[in-house]
Amino acid sequence: MTNRKIKFKPVSPQIEALVREHGGQPQAVLKMLVELQTEHGALTREMLDDVARLLELPAARVYGIASFYSMLEVAETAQSFAMSKIRVCDGPVCWLCGGDVTSIGDAIRAGHPERKVERTSCLGLCDRAPAVLVGDEQAGPVLAEKVSAILAGKIGKSIDYSLPRPGEVRVMLAHAGKVDPDSLESALSVGAYQGLQAALKRTPEEVISEVENSNLNGRGGAGFPAGRKWRFVAAATRTPKFVVCNADESEPLIFKDRVLIDTNPHQILEGMVIAAYAVGASSGYIYIRGEYVSQAQRLERAIEQAERSGWLGENIACSGFSFQIHVHRGAGAYICGEETALLESLEGKRGEPRVRPPFPTTSGYRNLPTLVNNVESFSAVPHILQRGAEWYKNLSDNSAGGTKLYILLGHVNWPGLFEAPFGLTLRQIIDGFGGGLRHGSKFHFALCGGAAGTIVDESLLDTPIDYASAGKGISLGAGAFLVCDERVSPVAMLRELMHFFAVESCGKCTPCREGTRRAYELLVRLAESGSRPGDLEELARLASVMQAASFCGLGQSVYLPVTSALRHFKNEFAAKIRS
Amino acid sequence: MPVHLTINDKPIQAHEGQTVLEAACAHGIVIPTLCYHKDLSPVGSCRLCIVEVEKLRGQVAACNLPVAEGLVVHTETPALVQSRRTVLSLLLQNYTDAGYASHDGHPTEFEHWVRYYDARLPDGTSPAPRYPVDGDPNPFIWVDLNKCILCTRCVRACEEVQGRFVWGVGERGSYTRIIAGADTRMLEARCESCGACAAYCPTGALDHKLSIRQGEADRKVTTTCTYCGVGCQFDLNVKDGKVIRVTSNPNAPVNGMHLCVKGRYGYDFIHHPDRLTGPRVRRYLLEGGKKVLHEPAWDWVETDWNTALDITARKLAATRDQYGGSSIGVLTSAKCLNEENYLMNKLARQVLGTHNIDHCARL
Repeated sequence: MTNRKIKFKPVSPQIEALVREHGGQPQAVLKMLVELQTEHGALTREMLDDVARLLELPAARVYGIASFYSMLEVAETAQSFAMSKIRVCDGPVCWLCGGDVTSIGDAIRAGHPERKVERTSCLGLCDRAPAVLVGDEQAGPVLAEKVSAILAGKIGKSIDYSLPRPGEVRVMLAHAGKVDPDSLESALSVGAYQGLQAALKRTPEEVISEVENSNLNGRGGAGFPAGRKWRFVAAATRTPKFVVCNADESEPLIFKDRVLIDTNPHQILEGMVIAAYAVGASSGYIYIRGEYVSQAQRLERAIEQAERSGWLGENIACSGFSFQIHVHRGAGAYICGEETALLESLEGKRGEPRVRPPFPTTSGYRNLPTLVNNVESFSAVPHILQRGAEWYKNLSDNSAGGTKLYILLGHVNWPGLFEAPFGLTLRQIIDGFGGGLRHGSKFHFALCGGAAGTIVDESLLDTPIDYASAGKGISLGAGAFLVCDERVSPVAMLRELMHFFAVESCGKCTPCREGTRRAYELLVRLAESGSRPGDLEELARLASVMQAASFCGLGQSVYLPVTSALRHFKNEFAAKIRS
Repeated sequence: MPVHLTINDKPIQAHEGQTVLEAACAHGIVIPTLCYHKDLSPVGSCRLCIVEVEKLRGQVAACNLPVAEGLVVHTETPALVQSRRTVLSLLLQNYTDAGYASHDGHPTEFEHWVRYYDARLPDGTSPAPRYPVDGDPNPFIWVDLNKCILCTRCVRACEEVQGRFVWGVGERGSYTRIIAGADTRMLEARCESCGACAAYCPTGALDHKLSIRQGEADRKVTTTCTYCGVGCQFDLNVKDGKVIRVTSNPNAPVNGMHLCVKGRYGYDFIHHPDRLTGPRVRRYLLEGGKKVLHEPAWDWVETDWNTALDITARKLAATRDQYGGSSIGVLTSAKCLNEENYLMNKLARQVLGTHNIDHCARL
């Protein structure tokens, strides 16, 4: 019986004040922890205990939250930080562009021992790769030998997407670069909130039919018909209802939502208000990843402007309809892009996916009917209402309606982002929109869709890509394409992807938690040619168990790059097996 | 409302609100489980109870799949067996057993399914322990997270059975682990040492510390706890005439698997050398003499019940006659039956003539 006596410790007055400021709401626990960490550099167990006591939550739960999100750090003692942290991106695109977490970290530490450096799975800055986050500021490209310039304040420029490429069809990006994203007047001058006015003149049922007729598919990656989802929420009888905008984009290769927020935030808000009107929701949340600080601020600014001008808040545009939007910041977790994990996180819990059914459309945020759509989906909505479903649908001569944002990365002449209809082929994307492969590069493979996409060889260059093409072996996903020349090994690329999945698995279900880790270890062996016979069969087996038996869509999609790479590059994998 | 479904080609009638797993169980169809326990809310995380449902994609966890009219379910196809074997082999790769078990000769649930599906570690792998073997100074609960498979039954048992919220899940990905409080020791996380977590643990990662290495019991005796009036039942595990552990009896009508620290771990009094096994009185009372406050007359001596009760009755009667009934107070015990407590009430009020009666459970 050697247990220590537990002494009563009064709660720190500072934490008491913080909790009071947030109204003692347990849902706000993530916000409180982020604020505490900003102030103290790290979270200590005492702080977590105090927060738990004041919110009447179990200490284990608060610790569970603090240790779940990668941007939060639990330490033995608080640290007084004169300088903010530097987060170095460890994603596959930054790796491809020569970013190496270790050498960048070492270079920062050598020149600036006072700065704290951390690895991050992916910063969503693939167009500025290799990227880092200096405090709240997005910076890149940065190579190890050039870190001092970044620390001296030369953070590089964000990419300008104001000029369309030849062949682009711009709807959501129509005003990119032409309007001031921080000015409502500027947005109004190019027609912002006209879609909303058109919607408010109709009945909610008519608005839903319009969206249904437009063939708008959810743009998060799964491509579920948006109109059908809206109808489910509208049909749910319980109130209040919520509209949630998924701006958590944390998948490597994907940064389209960031560009949409940075170029036209009012477009997103307008889409959300229209959706809220259609489904009968009274409040909404934008769940934005913690790394997008300036984007979150931009959205908050836009919300404030819209509220002041009557486009948001009480009695919108004198229609009698009221709707509020709040911005909720994540704290570093890929899994929170999964809609039920996102809702858990929104409720101030660990971002672990929920059992489905019930689906969020009937039992979402706080178990009430909730519509969750992606930033890009909401961005398309105002245009559908303003110009009609027929017009929108006919932008693509494809079963999926409208336009899509495409992200093109890797060894092409013009990497970046563009907007075009559905049904493009990879060859069109590379040669038409990307200016062809770089001089001296030969096409080897492309990662299509996103990190959880398919790795394809040249045999699929001419297959039209849409939500249904995954069946033919090439996926659209969230619309990203990473093109690699013959200097890149698909084995090494797969290892980088698996590293991401292993680090970002939430840990809830066995196949994803352990399977990604085992697959990563195996791929490290393979890439270093130290593998064992049977490794390829083991890799295929792990992929198929993750696909069949994982709890949520994220675990179930890890197999995509694995099995597609094994199919197209069997010889390259087999060559790595030690004979 | 009855719901009709087919499991392994067998038509089954279930009722609305049941899960496929419950319906299968009710009809004697065994689906392997680890994170599921009938007392706890299902989380569907271990992925052992996966089944195939016609017209549904992938392999679905039966523990949180509601029954529906016309479902056609297969529970033991070659693909499922392969998936389960892989899932178990993945769990084995984080599992090390240092040989400290309190087990009663039966394999744990985890060991059972590992053997049943013949799951093995991949060739050339030998997991290394990642945590201290006796990881917590709690006097009653043995913590060896090297055997933990993250089923979170302990977390749910602590929350849902005991209402204590000691355990939680910390970190994420392959670093996920079970934590007590803000990653502290169990008692500091306000643990009451009820042992529910150990009782629900399917691997022995949480176990009964007092029973570690006590071996296999030769018999189990179902009995009622003597500590209080709730009347919890449990099984005394007896080896060579000695109680070596108390295990929950899931069929106990009052408490199910639930026990408190006294019932589950407070059994050392049974074999304690200081335990009283018969009545004792002060020696001077036997000798009929006057009250003497020093030895040897003040010593306790064992006697028979008749003598002891005679003396007690005589002294009580004398006190009542001399000083009146209200000079006597009666304190009854939670260790007595309700009926015995009722009789004490009668004795106090009708025989001794006092209203001064109370019960230890009120203290």
